[in-house]
Amino acid sequence: MNNNLQIALDNDGKSIWKFLISELKPKGKFLTPFNVISIPIIIIGLGLIILRFWKGIGEVSNVTQDIPWGLWKGFNVVTGVAFAGGAYVLTFMVYILNMRKYRSIIRVTVLNGFLAYAFYAGALVLDLGRPWHIFNPIIGNSFGASSVLFLVAWHFLLYMIAQLIEFSPAIAEWLGIRRAHRILSGMTMAAVIFGITLSMLHQSGLGALFLMAKEKIHPLWYSEFIPVLFLVSSIFAGLSMVIFEGSISHKVFFDQISEKNKNAQNGIIRGLSKICAGTMFAYFFLQLLVFVHKQRWDMLDTALGHWFLLEMLGFVLLPMILFFVSYRKNNIAMIKTAAILTILGVILNRLNVSIISFRWDMAVRYVPSWMEVVVALAVIFSQIWIFRWVINRMPVLRDSPSWANEHN
Amino acid sequence: MDVFSYSDIFATKGIEYLIIITFLALLVPFWLLLNRQVRISSQVNKALGYLSANILRIPHGLFYSKNHTWMYMEKSGAAKVGLDDLLLHITGEVKFSNLISPGEFIRKGDLMTQIVQKGKVIRIFSPLSGKILAINHTLNERPGTPNDDPYGKGWIYKIKPLNWVEEVKKCYFAEEATNWSAKEIERFKDFMALSMKNCSFEPSVVVMQDGGELCDHSLSEMPGEIWKDFDTDFLNSN
Repeated sequence: MNNNLQIALDNDGKSIWKFLISELKPKGKFLTPFNVISIPIIIIGLGLIILRFWKGIGEVSNVTQDIPWGLWKGFNVVTGVAFAGGAYVLTFMVYILNMRKYRSIIRVTVLNGFLAYAFYAGALVLDLGRPWHIFNPIIGNSFGASSVLFLVAWHFLLYMIAQLIEFSPAIAEWLGIRRAHRILSGMTMAAVIFGITLSMLHQSGLGALFLMAKEKIHPLWYSEFIPVLFLVSSIFAGLSMVIFEGSISHKVFFDQISEKNKNAQNGIIRGLSKICAGTMFAYFFLQLLVFVHKQRWDMLDTALGHWFLLEMLGFVLLPMILFFVSYRKNNIAMIKTAAILTILGVILNRLNVSIISFRWDMAVRYVPSWMEVVVALAVIFSQIWIFRWVINRMPVLRDSPSWANEHN
Repeated sequence: MDVFSYSDIFATKGIEYLIIITFLALLVPFWLLLNRQVRISSQVNKALGYLSANILRIPHGLFYSKNHTWMYMEKSGAAKVGLDDLLLHITGEVKFSNLISPGEFIRKGDLMTQIVQKGKVIRIFSPLSGKILAINHTLNERPGTPNDDPYGKGWIYKIKPLNWVEEVKKCYFAEEATNWSAKEIERFKDFMALSMKNCSFEPSVVVMQDGGELCDHSLSEMPGEIWKDFDTDFLNSN
């Protein structure tokens, strides 16, 4: 039987192509504050990306032979992937530890994770001197198997596939393809386990990328424990982003969320804050241990030493205390403040390792150009646009149709 | 050319061990302190005889119906039902009458029992449809049992359910049940304020003036009219 006809029949008899075309039409108001800000940035960003590929990376970026890693890698890739860690942590909690309380936010978190990896893989392509080599680890034109990047490349690809499989039941529900939904729902657990395993390795792998740059990264940030620190910090980075993004989605997509899930929101935020408090407590002590092990106390009384202390005390210890206190007092506003501080702290840490303390001793330091900043923002805004498009159409925040609950 | 540098990794071993021991030593009180909030305030409220969300026992593995009954499916396929902690905190010690005999069938919404205190009655409707397998005979032999152990020894019936999946869908579960119970206490406060006004009773008997806290077993001091109102307007209004 013709597959299209079969799918159309599954979709309550409506033609799937007509349905898809109708879904492309915008929903809601066009001139919202977010749209007004993001559209010009995306358009300019697209123009700059064309310029980048036409004239070369030097035309838009301040990266050099001495500092080949710029804002796109340091911010979009290294930092962005840390924040996408919420997906693997939450899927572990829901599917492995069976913490059903967080089930209502699993789809939106996996969606965020998938879009993050997809867009930040794109941002990586932008920052490569020879972007056509991005496929080499996959197709074998010099695999580069001795590099950590080989692991990172394969993990990104496989993890995106795993996340797509985890999210695909939502797509099947949107399209009304019941048969596919049944099959995809059955694959969810395997994809989750695979995804968690991959995530833990490539989160630390992104840290391992810096291991070979011992002489280039400031001693306060360099250690052989960077991979472990990146892995542990990805846990509370991801969960803080879940709290932050969840609070915004809760307001923006309020009409989609069921009464039951609205009532559960504060309990979920509170639970996540407890995990963040515990993880940050361990992370702080890990950083202290590494600091003592590296015997770098003589560097504390320097400009970068003060910067290091600011990161540790202001953006690790302080939000950890805030999470602790706000969990005990059940203060949701304080939890959200702590989440924002944590997000800033993780951005600071990742930028410190990859950009700020990288070749800190050079006479001419790397400062990203305005064009790099615009492109970085354009990547993020584009991701949010796609996220919004999906949320407004697919059953991510709203409940699944009743027929889907039999398979879930 | 790379500069060779040597650092003695054993120089700080002692401090590192101390840091690890400190971390482990601090971890236990950290975790206990983090979780202690609920226990302290619940004990304070218990000591003062206040009814608040913190002192309620709401196991997360049970389903809670809107009329404050709970249901739990055992491995044998029989479901236990009983009254939840909030209802028993409100009423105080009660006796059970009009119990249905084993072997009989009951539908969801049918009268399954009445709880009685000094002649005042509240109807309890069944949250489940099914066949009654057993009644808990200790309920009237030891009337305080449901108050002491509402989810264990305080069960009322064992029922073989006919439509478990459909009928639990409208029930509260886990964190949702906790949030709902907190809201029910507020709703009960409003109910008491309105009932007291209608009956022209002194509000200070039930609601403490300072902070508006409810006393435990608030309903036990109330007359039969308030029990009737509680039955029709609060418990079984849905």
